Amino acid sequence: MNDKKKKVKEISFEDSLKKLEEIVEELEKGELSLDEALKLYEEGMEFSDKCMEKLNESKQKVEKITKEGNNKYHTEPFSVQNNEEDEKE
Amino acid sequence: MSSNQLNKKVYSVSNITRHIQQLFNADPLLRNVTILGELSNFKYHSSGHMYFVLKDDQCQIRCVMFRGSNLGLSFDPSDGMEVRATGDVRVYEKRGEYQFYVFQMAEAGKGALFAAFEALKEKLKAEGLFKQEIKKSLPKIPRKIAVITSPTGAAIRDIISVTLRRFPNIHIIVVPAQVQGTEAASQIAKNIKFLNLALPDLDFIIIGRGGGSIEELWAFNEEILARQIYSSRIPIVSAVGHETDFTISDFVADLRAPTPSGAAEMTIPDKESLLIHLGLLKGKLNRMMNHILELKRQQYFNIVENLKYQSPKNKILQHLQTLDDLTNRLNLNMKHIIGMNENLLAKYKEKIITLSPKAVLKRGYSICFKMPKKIIVKKTEQVEKNNLIEIMVSDGIISANVSGKESCK
Repeated sequence: MNDKKKKVKEISFEDSLKKLEEIVEELEKGELSLDEALKLYEEGMEFSDKCMEKLNESKQKVEKITKEGNNKYHTEPFSVQNNEEDEKE
Repeated sequence: MSSNQLNKKVYSVSNITRHIQQLFNADPLLRNVTILGELSNFKYHSSGHMYFVLKDDQCQIRCVMFRGSNLGLSFDPSDGMEVRATGDVRVYEKRGEYQFYVFQMAEAGKGALFAAFEALKEKLKAEGLFKQEIKKSLPKIPRKIAVITSPTGAAIRDIISVTLRRFPNIHIIVVPAQVQGTEAASQIAKNIKFLNLALPDLDFIIIGRGGGSIEELWAFNEEILARQIYSSRIPIVSAVGHETDFTISDFVADLRAPTPSGAAEMTIPDKESLLIHLGLLKGKLNRMMNHILELKRQQYFNIVENLKYQSPKNKILQHLQTLDDLTNRLNLNMKHIIGMNENLLAKYKEKIITLSPKAVLKRGYSICFKMPKKIIVKKTEQVEKNNLIEIMVSDGIISANVSGKESCK
């Protein structure tokens, strides 16, 4: 699959956020040429998009897992409301 | 029947009660006996005496611990505690009830369990299972997490609700397991092993349960579970009981949370504040870029202005002006010079006129030329007798022959 591609693009949220913060700081110093500034700006926007991507990557899902052998299992939706009356573990 | 009743001895309540009392007193088992049970209905009377019930799954026994005995207690008894009480079982005649007269009481198991806990803790610590540097870090934005706990407990409810409140789009996998009882530790351990095999992409696993007695939390103090936590490749968060409860699991786990809901608070980022932070950064990025562009534009204009100023056109214009200036001055000077010369010329003309031989002729002088070459005769020796001469006078020429000559000194 596009596993390789994914790996190259794989940068953690923390790293993206840190990069974005550094870029903003660098621009704030204002000692850059226009080319450098434009390049940094572009990078900054990319990291910002990357952060958003990371935040919205996963989908909400709450499941209960049932083991069916060593590596086998099945999942079903899990809802906490159904268990409310049952306080005791 | 009625005659039988008449013949039969009749006892008073006191007689019978005392008889029962004697039976109790005669049984050595009921002297100085130690009973294990759960405290219930505990009342600390203003008189200083303690009244309570000891119970287990099926039975209960009423107890009293008098002031003189309970002064030396090493703990504050409360309902639900497992205690080991020592005393006599006797009859309380006034109520016709048997009671347990307690003269010594200790928290049950506390000593033994605590010792086991400390021993295991020391052992695992010595083996390096608690070392900070081997603890795995958790990703800041988890996508998929698992929770091993009772599916019906308060813990799972708290974890799910706090997690979804902080970060709505997350994948939670509930792994049902017993969290107390003899099977609990091995069930939790097996599930950790299973998740490592079946779902290695999990960001982390929370194991835990709500508060309870030390016995109820005991599964989390067992070696089998501690070792499984240690060998898990997926990071483990231990969230057992209340803030004050510490278990072996807490020490081995990659992260210890004070409570199940605390585990969610600590591990799940607040998406809303992350979005706000990100928005601020993005805004700042745009503002800074615009600022830089404006700055560079200004710099550019300044340079263009400067360049315009430095352009050769300017120099040419300057030179042209100089040229005009010089030309003007040249013209002016020339005119002046010409004027001056014209005056001089007029003067000379006048002078020349006065100096002209013709003017002299008018005054009566004449000029004599020797012909035919018309040489002006200045000395007598220039001519001979009979030479043809012409004499110029003011109004014409007289031709003559030399008839004689005489020089005078």
